[in-house]
Amino acid sequence: MKIRKLLSLLLAMVMVVVLFAGCKGQTQTPGPQGGSDNTEQPKGDQILRLGASSFDGVFNPIMSDNVYDAYITDIIFEKLIDNTPEGEYVPGIAEWTLSEDNLTYTFTLKDGIKFSDGSDLTTEDVAFTYMAIAHPDYNGPRAYAVNNLVGYEEYHSGKTDTFEGIQIIDEKTISFTFKEGTAAPANIESFDYGIMPKAYYEFENWEDFLELLDKPLGSGIMVLDSWEPKQYIKLLKNENYWDPENAAKIDGVLVSEVPEESILSALQTNQIDFGQIFANAENYQAALAMDNINVINYLGNGYTFMCFNTLRPTLSDVRVRQALMYALDREAFIDVQYGEGLASVGMAPISPSSWAFPDESELNPYSFDMEKAAQLMDEAGWLMESDGYRYKDGQKFSISWLVYTDSPWPGTLAGMAADTWKQLGVDLNIELMDFNTVAARTMDAEPGEKDFDIYTMGFSLSIDPDPTGALFDDNAFVAGGFNASGYKNEEAMELVRAGRAEFDTDKRAEIYKEWAKIMNEEIPHVIIAYRSEIWGVNKRVEGLEIDTYVKWNQSLKNVTLN
Amino acid sequence: MRNYVIRRILQMIPVFIGILFILFFILEQAPGTPVSNMMHPKMTPEQKAELAQKLGLDIPWHERFVNYIKEAAQGNLGYSNTHKKPVTEVIGDYIGPTLLLSIVSLSISLILGIPAGIISATKQYTAIDNILTVVSFIGISLPSFFFGLILLKLFAVDVQLFPLFGLQDPLLMSNNPIDKFLDVAWHLVLPSIVLGLSSTASFMRYTRSSMLEVIKQDYIRTARAKGLKEKTVIYRHAFRNGIIPIITLLGFWIPSLLSGAVVTETIFALPGLGKISVEAAMNRNYPLILGINSLLTILTLIGALVADLLYAIADPRIRYD
Repeated sequence: MKIRKLLSLLLAMVMVVVLFAGCKGQTQTPGPQGGSDNTEQPKGDQILRLGASSFDGVFNPIMSDNVYDAYITDIIFEKLIDNTPEGEYVPGIAEWTLSEDNLTYTFTLKDGIKFSDGSDLTTEDVAFTYMAIAHPDYNGPRAYAVNNLVGYEEYHSGKTDTFEGIQIIDEKTISFTFKEGTAAPANIESFDYGIMPKAYYEFENWEDFLELLDKPLGSGIMVLDSWEPKQYIKLLKNENYWDPENAAKIDGVLVSEVPEESILSALQTNQIDFGQIFANAENYQAALAMDNINVINYLGNGYTFMCFNTLRPTLSDVRVRQALMYALDREAFIDVQYGEGLASVGMAPISPSSWAFPDESELNPYSFDMEKAAQLMDEAGWLMESDGYRYKDGQKFSISWLVYTDSPWPGTLAGMAADTWKQLGVDLNIELMDFNTVAARTMDAEPGEKDFDIYTMGFSLSIDPDPTGALFDDNAFVAGGFNASGYKNEEAMELVRAGRAEFDTDKRAEIYKEWAKIMNEEIPHVIIAYRSEIWGVNKRVEGLEIDTYVKWNQSLKNVTLN
Repeated sequence: MRNYVIRRILQMIPVFIGILFILFFILEQAPGTPVSNMMHPKMTPEQKAELAQKLGLDIPWHERFVNYIKEAAQGNLGYSNTHKKPVTEVIGDYIGPTLLLSIVSLSISLILGIPAGIISATKQYTAIDNILTVVSFIGISLPSFFFGLILLKLFAVDVQLFPLFGLQDPLLMSNNPIDKFLDVAWHLVLPSIVLGLSSTASFMRYTRSSMLEVIKQDYIRTARAKGLKEKTVIYRHAFRNGIIPIITLLGFWIPSLLSGAVVTETIFALPGLGKISVEAAMNRNYPLILGINSLLTILTLIGALVADLLYAIADPRIRYD
């Protein structure tokens, strides 16, 4: 009798708790947008459903630090510029002209742009957005968008209240002036961030601004309706969109947190409309076999690389680096790790989709060749001894490779290397760790304290091929810089500088070809592979475009659902 | 009794600070910083250094520790860099679903595990005892990721009875609380089975062994000799004594209600503290790691105290004076 009482009491408790939690379902308050006050609830079937994982809930164009958050931000906010699938920058909400000296960009806003609360978007808002990035208290990741503008240091240090490089000419016209000597075609990428309304975001203290990160207000085709951390983000059509011809054709977008392992099942059971699938042969075949989805396969804008610490006596000789590459069967690696057609052997630090990518025949793919590898090692003075390892001046050829386990590919590659390099006479020591530890021992360490021989990582690119500040930049060989190899080459740096400042695309392509050939020969960093990305899209979705240079949100206004 | 509780709570303070000190020290030893993960190809080293400085990473760790204690005493646990929000708000966002899932699954395991343990003990070596034992060993040894994926494959993909992910259907167009309740309950069926099953098994084993011990005591024989009904003997006399180890177990279970179940949360895409703790560790999100661990530390200390106090209630022989 007593136990039954206890049971029913417990059961009742559970019910109350569940009920309580169920009721407090919608805790995140919707932003103050005009779009969400429509009383008529939209029909669920006109909502585009994305399955994704790992959004952090920072829906702000100058603060978001996560691709998934950026998708949402780019729908809610609009940018001065946009880009085509071919990677060409075109006007977004403004047309621009560039001055004779290539330093001043003058933007003219289109007519009638309004934020979703009905207020006008003016150059005041544009200036506010960029000045917020330069604000002394700014603690987000976009400082590189403004730090080459005239007067950045003065404003950022708090010395002045005005930002000389940003001039409001009238309500529709605004100019941005870059510092002398920093003119570059890549500067246009500084304008690839959404415009925030000054009246809404203006702040006394930086903390007040941070309060609004998950309550976005922009001028885009959708507004944030509600979101729950690690559950979902719901966007609804901006009913007040300023350009009715380009307004959204669907009622909204729902991004649900779906673990990577479940994306395929969720697509198969129609619980989501689209999602990115982890690219390997097995998943690709499974996706192709589903008759309710279309599979999009495109080249990702980036590459994976291997970095040699060229300051080590073992790896300072270019012949040794080349020997190690000849003794690494990257074709086999690609087959094992990604599957055929889902990746290709890397050769130049430029995306093959870019106009700057050189003709493949001019580059060395370092095809698997053990004999050549052994010959190069001999030439470099590392000779095979009877114990099966190579020695020079009594020193054994022994190197360590930092492998992070956050992603499977470095482990696969290092495992394959352990086999073939052993045959070459190399004593390879693989150290497994997490991503942050690899970063701390390589890029983030002071130049004299970089504690590695080899490490591997992925790198993503922007549309413009300018490699300044990246893996091959001599000046990036500092604590926190991307170049951990210690390799310096003045001739190559000349080319990098010339390429950055050249405005003629054909001449630029020539310069980058020369540069890519040097790096392909010297290989302080080796480009391991270019990888494909795969998305599954339900057949009921039409008009969605995803490619190397365009994200799904850029074609959202064309999307219809059947 | 009151003095005892006050003394115990006062003792917790130095223990708590000591644990925090150890946590700080361990975090300091881990390579990498919160900035290591910010891999924007265009970010310059100077900009990274400035961000690190704004996060207070240039201050020596022992000074940071003292500052942390001072701030924490005033309820400020710092600022989560990935979420760009105060740590208390981040924890607040995730604590609800975590509690919900763990309370439901704990209830399931108590409701099933304790009676099964009693039955198993009173019918020792019978067929029903053997069956329950086998089932409980399966429950203990089945890894939750495997069991979870099997359930998903069977009941969410092949037969689409339950949803594949999430805690609620955001497209549910009803504002009726009953509908919402049913929606959440429907989403929780599979995860709470997975999470409940393994603890059901351990509760059952604990109850069984402690009941077996009690049943062999002299006073149980006396109770039977008095001519009491078997039910009264078991549920009034034996159970009351047999439950003491379970109470200890429950006391220590309290922190695990909030520590979250990383694997189950990940497989079923539930928003829980377990998953963000792992993310925080990967991102070296120090304030969030410390915030979650402080919470768990406090709960562990309180759990131990609660267990001690419950002894006195379950067993009149125990007195704290």
